[in-house]
Amino acid sequence: MIRVTELRKSFGSVRALDGVGFHAERGEVLGLLGPNGAGKSTALAICTGLIVPDSGSVQLGDAGAPRDPAARRLIGLAPQQIALYEDLTARENLVFLAKIHGVHDPVRRADELLDMVGLLPRARDRVRTYSGGMQRRLNLAAAIVHDPPVIMLDEPTAGVDPQSRSGILELVQRLAAEGRAVIYTTHYMEEAQRLCSRVAIVDHGRVLATGSVPELIAAHGGESVVTVDTPSGARITRTREPLREIERALAEGGATAVRIDQPDLETVFLALTGRRLRD
Amino acid sequence: MRASLVLALKDLRLLSRDRAAAFFTFVFPLAIALFFGYVFSGTTAEPMRVAAFVESASPAADTLVRALSEDGAFVLNRVESREDGERLVRSGTAAALVVVPASYAEGVDGMLTGAGPHLGLVVDPSRRAEGSMLVGKVHEVGFRTVFSSMADPAQFGRALDRMEASLKASDMSASDQFAIRAALGRARSMAAQSSKDAGAARASGASGASGMSGWKPVSVDVTELAMRPGIPANSFAISFTQGVAWALFGAVLAFGSGIAEERQRGTLVRLRVSPMSPNDILMGKALACFLTCMATEWLLVFFGIAFFHVAVSSWVAMAVVVAVTAFGFSGLMMLLAAGFRTEGGTQGAGRAVLLVLAMVGGGTVPLVFMPPFLRAASNVSPFKWAVMAAEGATWRNWGPDELWMPLVVLAAIGAVGLTAGTALVRRSI
Ligand SMILES: Nc1ncnc2c1ncn2[C@@H]1O[C@H](COP(=O)(O)OP(=O)(O)OP(=O)(O)O)[C@@H](O)[C@H]1O
Ligand SMILES: [Mg+2]
Repeated sequence: MIRVTELRKSFGSVRALDGVGFHAERGEVLGLLGPNGAGKSTALAICTGLIVPDSGSVQLGDAGAPRDPAARRLIGLAPQQIALYEDLTARENLVFLAKIHGVHDPVRRADELLDMVGLLPRARDRVRTYSGGMQRRLNLAAAIVHDPPVIMLDEPTAGVDPQSRSGILELVQRLAAEGRAVIYTTHYMEEAQRLCSRVAIVDHGRVLATGSVPELIAAHGGESVVTVDTPSGARITRTREPLREIERALAEGGATAVRIDQPDLETVFLALTGRRLRD
Repeated sequence: MRASLVLALKDLRLLSRDRAAAFFTFVFPLAIALFFGYVFSGTTAEPMRVAAFVESASPAADTLVRALSEDGAFVLNRVESREDGERLVRSGTAAALVVVPASYAEGVDGMLTGAGPHLGLVVDPSRRAEGSMLVGKVHEVGFRTVFSSMADPAQFGRALDRMEASLKASDMSASDQFAIRAALGRARSMAAQSSKDAGAARASGASGASGMSGWKPVSVDVTELAMRPGIPANSFAISFTQGVAWALFGAVLAFGSGIAEERQRGTLVRLRVSPMSPNDILMGKALACFLTCMATEWLLVFFGIAFFHVAVSSWVAMAVVVAVTAFGFSGLMMLLAAGFRTEGGTQGAGRAVLLVLAMVGGGTVPLVFMPPFLRAASNVSPFKWAVMAAEGATWRNWGPDELWMPLVVLAAIGAVGLTAGTALVRRSI
């Protein structure tokens, strides 16, 4: 659905993107996981036609590049910064956006979305009076007024309470399940792990690895740590086959407790960059 | 285009929710118009100010002017020319101008021969109540002075002397002259006898007139100043065009930072991801400014008409003026947006620049009262041309041959602003 190849972009001496490439298909959530300044937002800005890359290309299905308004209609963007008119009500915001997108019945569409993000009871309140989590949910709803097949969400859970967060994650899963391609940037690896069918790990403007979470862990996570407690003390083993190690310990007898520390995306990131995701 | 209109309507709704901006766009100009209107009209509890112009000095004229100024009902301001007096009336400093014509002395002298004295009164029609009260006063005072001069034997004698002299100079037959001279002689002795009764009549003022069967000693000729085109009906006619400058100031300022606000709030990203082109977005901003300029100027006009006797010379002219002005100031707004790329920049430095332009352009000192150098300097201010066009469509009563000039300037500002400004702003979108 969307294919991004070899994007390069510099801002003066800062090289924001240095050959980023990924693709996302209908029905999947592609996570862009990376630390601050990795280039995630810049990549999305290029994907939505907001900025022009120094080189590389973005293709939206058969529709072409996002600089073309016809192709741009296929994309919905929820920017990292909350982008709403604070002195309009939630409904007015959505109706306005629906109208400029040429949506058929803007008011009905607005109410449908408000219901979807659980804001219908507050539809007539000005956005200024909303909590951070409510504004985030509306920011997401605003991205999809025109029901685009490609949805780009730039850290849609930043500064959100756990309840709102799980609501947002469920909504994203539903959007993908209904057949849309979702690109989801985050630096929360738990989110990527729970939500994304595939994850691209981004750092310093480059994609270091792409794959499903198990694939990434298998390729870059290294060994699991198996800890076996015995009366004579704890025995720690590093292995790629933790189950076999446990079987052996049980066969030997005398084990009072076993623990497996499996590698996760954090370990993958550490292995790939030599740094932790969140320093 | 439809999307631009949607964007413009959204901006108007936001403006209506921003109390400060809405105040400066719609209420403040009215307040300014009312403030200056009252300041210049002097319609307070003070005594009425009246200007007096004596065309040629004579004892009779002096007596009249003295009597007028001694009357407690008004403050008399003697002026050197009719134009000076009219200027005072026009500016609202004086409610009326009393003109004592050169023929006044002769009129007093010629009362017996029937012509009678004559006075001119130039009034501000919007102050009709004061004007008609003044007409009564002038009659009264004029009558009193004329009557007192008749009652003064010495002055009456001088009048008879002059009549005799003029008789000599005439080409009347000798026998006619003889007969008139005899009549004048009888009149002299009659006057001496009646001086006591006249003194009593003078003491009771105008009421004495009733004793003289239908005799009307002074005729007062009233001219309404604004009946002539090109003169403001009252100070509000001027102050409401000043209000136009402030209305436009508010509108331009409210939308000049519109793009910057969208950028700072992040909503510009949404607009740009939408199918709207940068031109559509800028057109929406210009349209919002255009509609606001129209609304606020019409509001002023209707308010002025409804409550302050402001007159529109022609509705067609007014409609054209308001539309072209709104176009011009949408262009100015775009230039402002191009010059100051941040909300702070527009509201700080941008506001200062606009403020100077509005003040120089007739927002504070009305164009009509500007000294020549300031009036010349004001040409650089777009506000001047808007005020001028508004004046042209109201009290100046201009036709197309005079209105074209400010309209062309405003249209040019609009065209340049919208093309150059848009080109500059588009780069930053
Ligand atoms: N408009 C810009 N001008 C200059 N530098 C920029 C601009 N936009 C981004 N950068 C730089 O490009 C790099 C990548 O920024 P980007 O915002 O894409 O990172 P990110 O992955 O989204 O980070 P975060 O997780 O903090 O949102 C950073 O070094 C940033 O400073
Ligand atoms: Mg970012």
